[in-house]
Amino acid sequence: MAADSLLKEFIPSLDYEKEAKRWTQLLKAFSEPEPKVGHTPRNEVWRKNKSVLWHYPAKQKKYQIPLFFVYSLFNKPYILDIAPKTSVIEGLTNMGYEVYLLDWGSPGYEDKKIGLDTYIEKYLRTAVKRAIRHAGVEEITLIGYCLGGTIASIYTAIADEPIKNLIVATVPIDFQPFIGPDQWAEGLRNGDINIDRLIDTYGVIPPKLVEGMFRAIGAPIYFTNYTMLLSRAHDQRYVDKWRRMNKWTLDQVPFAGEAYRQLANDLFKENKLVKGELMIGNKQVDLKNITANLYVISGSRDNLILEDQSKPMVELTSSEDKTYISVEAGHVGLALSGLFAKIVDQWASTRSNPL
Amino acid sequence: MADQKAYDPYESLHKFSLLWEKQINDLLFLWTNNKEFVKMANLRTDFQSRYVESFKKNQEAFVSLLNLPTKNDVTNVANLTLQAEEKMEALEEQIWDLQDAVKSQNKEIESVVEVSKEIIKLTKQLKTELIKTKKELADTKDVHAELQEMKFELMKLSNFQAEFETIKGLIKDEKVKEPVLSGAGTGAGN
Repeated sequence: MAADSLLKEFIPSLDYEKEAKRWTQLLKAFSEPEPKVGHTPRNEVWRKNKSVLWHYPAKQKKYQIPLFFVYSLFNKPYILDIAPKTSVIEGLTNMGYEVYLLDWGSPGYEDKKIGLDTYIEKYLRTAVKRAIRHAGVEEITLIGYCLGGTIASIYTAIADEPIKNLIVATVPIDFQPFIGPDQWAEGLRNGDINIDRLIDTYGVIPPKLVEGMFRAIGAPIYFTNYTMLLSRAHDQRYVDKWRRMNKWTLDQVPFAGEAYRQLANDLFKENKLVKGELMIGNKQVDLKNITANLYVISGSRDNLILEDQSKPMVELTSSEDKTYISVEAGHVGLALSGLFAKIVDQWASTRSNPL
Repeated sequence: MADQKAYDPYESLHKFSLLWEKQINDLLFLWTNNKEFVKMANLRTDFQSRYVESFKKNQEAFVSLLNLPTKNDVTNVANLTLQAEEKMEALEEQIWDLQDAVKSQNKEIESVVEVSKEIIKLTKQLKTELIKTKKELADTKDVHAELQEMKFELMKLSNFQAEFETIKGLIKDEKVKEPVLSGAGTGAGN
């Protein structure tokens, strides 16, 4: 009898119900069809090549000035509308904002000559004009996320269109600080690494190479997402969130060659944006030309864009109304959790002409 | 027994995984963060580019033999489509400009119409006042004629007064001569 109780103490008890749930959901996570994303109702306003301008109507319009999202060229923008209740766009439309989103689309081999100037002059500028006309307004608010923030900032500096507010989140402006190995950055800057030939050969950088680049900079070996899933697989909400995040992470887009060349050479290698030497078409990009109300958001746990890369934006612009905040979030977490909608609303509500 | 924890090694596994992952990545960071690795990576990139280039060339040659379109051909067609799309876009924007111009002209016309309406209203008002003034002028003329008539009458009256005064004077003169004639008269009275 004593031996029996000793054995029972040695062998831990098993929560059969929890384990059954864990393994069933784990099996489902890898066998069920991919989760549906982009559920907020939207209308197509304009389409060019692979890019689409979407309009998300406000549930009950409370602000006159609409929000215009510019997302990164590296990933798909559905992270902003990833799941009901945590969707950034859904949150903002519920708060009474008219939202526009420019989806750059996935470039094909035929788009290899699209550079940052084409993206800005022919796509973003036209999309902003279309959004202003569609909304029937005099001014607009631009919101740039990650590289989309860099593009939005460059555009605002040379824009003829009336940009009232500029919001940038986890934005790389100063490319001198680098989170990856410093010798890599130095190699790229002094010419030890030359990617021009690779770009010419591929035309469009394949998604796997883009993914590999990010992996190499951040964490080349990455498997803790799977162990995390295993430990929390009994929680259905977590599994759903994990599946959506996993889908988005693996859903990379190709990168247009010319734009990649400009990003690597003009922005990363020569840091022309901060120096005021970047040329878009025949216009020189000087961030001092930005006079729109400015809101810069950084993530303190961002493992891709350092706070020091975003902060110079505040000093470099001429805006009289400028705010900088650092949020306790990672690079993607800000959008994934839906927290971004609340952060935007806190600042934009008083600057969007409430009705 | 109540204090005994349920079997759940996954949390610990995750914690160890985090540790291992960090250690491996730190090690890789140390191994690769040097000039030699960077130069090797560049060499590898060049080699990869050369390999892809030659593969593409061979593929192009092979496909041309089969008389099949290559990716470059598709690119050219896609660029033509894009050009057409851009032209359509430019046309659409020109139509917008025209619409805007027509709208602003319509507004101007509307404002001109509004002003014209005001002018017509004012002209009508002036016309009515003119007729009224004309009528008043006609009345004034009548009054003037009447006054002239009255003046003439008055002149006539003043002539009459003068004549009357003359007659009055003559009568007075007659009265002065009367005593000569009164003697005979008295006798007759007696």
